[in-house]
Amino acid sequence: MILLVGLNHKTAPLAVRERLFAGCREAVNLLGDLRAIDGVLEILHIATCNRVELVASVDETPRVMDALKSFLAKYGGLTHDEAASCLYAYRDEEAIKHLFRVTSSLDSLVMGEAQILGQVKEAYRQALAQNATGIALNRLMHRAFRTAKRVRTETGIAANPVSVSFAAVELAKKIFGTLAGKKTLIIGAGEMAELTCMHLIGNGAEDITVANRSAAQAETLAEKYHGRAIGLDALDEGLMDADIVISSTGAPTYVVTQEMVRRCLRKRKNRLLFLIDIAVPRDIDPKADGIENVYLYNIDNLQDLVDENIKNRRREALKAEQIVAEEVTQYLNWLKELEAVPTIVSLRTKVESIVRMEMSKAESWMSKLEKGDREKVDALVKGIVNKLLHAPVAVMKEESAEFNSQDIVAAARQLFRLDD
Amino acid sequence: MTSLETTLFALALTCCALATVGYLLSLLIQKIILAKASTWILAAGFLFLTLTLLRAAVHSSGWVNFGSRHFLSIYAWAIAGIYLGLQFRTKTRLLGAFIAPFILLFLIAAAGQGSGKNLVPPEWQGWLTTLHLVLAIAGEALFVLASAAGAMFMIQNRLLKHKKPGKMGRLLPSLGDLDRINHLGLLWGFPLLTPGMIGGAVYAAFVWGGPWPADPKVIWSFAVWIVYGFLLHQRLAIGWKGSRMASLSFVTFLLFLMSALVIRFCCTTVHNFI
Repeated sequence: MILLVGLNHKTAPLAVRERLFAGCREAVNLLGDLRAIDGVLEILHIATCNRVELVASVDETPRVMDALKSFLAKYGGLTHDEAASCLYAYRDEEAIKHLFRVTSSLDSLVMGEAQILGQVKEAYRQALAQNATGIALNRLMHRAFRTAKRVRTETGIAANPVSVSFAAVELAKKIFGTLAGKKTLIIGAGEMAELTCMHLIGNGAEDITVANRSAAQAETLAEKYHGRAIGLDALDEGLMDADIVISSTGAPTYVVTQEMVRRCLRKRKNRLLFLIDIAVPRDIDPKADGIENVYLYNIDNLQDLVDENIKNRRREALKAEQIVAEEVTQYLNWLKELEAVPTIVSLRTKVESIVRMEMSKAESWMSKLEKGDREKVDALVKGIVNKLLHAPVAVMKEESAEFNSQDIVAAARQLFRLDD
Repeated sequence: MTSLETTLFALALTCCALATVGYLLSLLIQKIILAKASTWILAAGFLFLTLTLLRAAVHSSGWVNFGSRHFLSIYAWAIAGIYLGLQFRTKTRLLGAFIAPFILLFLIAAAGQGSGKNLVPPEWQGWLTTLHLVLAIAGEALFVLASAAGAMFMIQNRLLKHKKPGKMGRLLPSLGDLDRINHLGLLWGFPLLTPGMIGGAVYAAFVWGGPWPADPKVIWSFAVWIVYGFLLHQRLAIGWKGSRMASLSFVTFLLFLMSALVIRFCCTTVHNFI
């Protein structure tokens, strides 16, 4: 049986998540302690800033579920009420589905983000290194990774940026192709402008120029990005060089006018110019957008793109849920088959022991046989045993994959007296 | 035409048709994987076409002995070759959606032409004629490429200006890449077309002596040369870039295509192979 116990950003406030995350991180031998819980066969521990979850293969559900919950409550220093409201526990199908959704980033704060898959993989690596997983969890995790891969490649869930700064970077790429060697001018300073600039640099943009009313502030920011600082009076010159302009001053009027853009474009021989105006009130005259080869996006335009992308992701998520459902079914079938395995093994062992016993009884006359004849008899016995066992084993596998394995397994145990 | 040549040509035509459908479908259902596959199919078509032409070259006494099928095939071959060369260097797969139909058109026209007829009279044959033909075809193929990039630029530009790049915008190449292709098309096309035309003119002066005949194709080619020269000048010297260049080269191309068709079907010309 598979169990999943934990909390995430939807059920627990940051303060609680922090406590549990820190508690688990500080534990010396977390996986060892978890494996020591009676009934836990295999275990895995996923911890990110948005979730702490335990995935386990267990032999008895309700008691182990409570034990795992208490374990988390203890490590996170959770009060009784907190534990009751924040912790969730799923079993079997629900647990598998939840894990697949987590790995595929369907349960993430930003749906479709890529980090979670890496984090789950790391958690699995750690569990593997400590031998904390076995046949059920190994297969489960490989299925989870496969599901995540399918979701990423078969749906567009991670295709488009869902933050304003990333949307700006995507647009810059659509305008210039590559950002390598592109020059960026930042007018004013603001968190969003800086973030966008950082993303642009991360994508290859170079040569940062900072223009600010306060020379000192411009210098500080320029130093940070190894760029140069200019005053607002030298804006014309800055516009002439730049490919991408990010503006976010607090000025009440337009800092960049249509005439300025027109003038600079002539001097720069009509090279494409991408203007990002994230200031409110706006810094760049919207009429500048009418000029050829100038692409002006304000905060609303960018937000509209982001909203559209979020809508797309939600649509794609429906497709992703379908994939998750398919993969859950496949894993469950395999798991059910697995339930019949111990019975199949004991059936084989029993039959083999009978064969051994009967052969030893016949040893007195068989020892007189020629070597070749002896081998023939052995092969004959083996053949009969295999043929006889084939049908019950196949039926047990098929039945348990399609239906509940309990009935057929019980019948087999009774028929062959496997529990005697 | 030998049966092997016919088979190779049929294979080239099939590949090109498949690639065209693939490219157009990739635009329609907006899946880049289809465009990727189409590029490989087109590359296979290009290979078959190369083999067809090689086979024809081996069987004929010289390049200029080709029939009209071969002339049209060479056009298709040049456009496909230049596009594929560019494609493997830049990530502009979807340009194929605009180029492949032209290649297909040339191949279909070629398929409709008999190849037995000797188009260039034997007394005109010679290395200068060959040079004239090869350079003119290569130059014009590059202009086709520049114009196709221009057409795509216009679409992408419109999407970005309207603040709605959407799925189509993501699928189309970036403005920078398209502008570069337009630039390269003009930059390479013009210097190839120029000696091609001079070759033709010098040869005509030798053969015909006297002044140039008022051949519509000659006038048409001269107009193409002047206009593309003007565009290249504006681009390099004046700094015309981006949307203006894109729309001008596309409109120019459409005008020339139309007039070429009019000349083909309504006028008599010594350049009667297409």
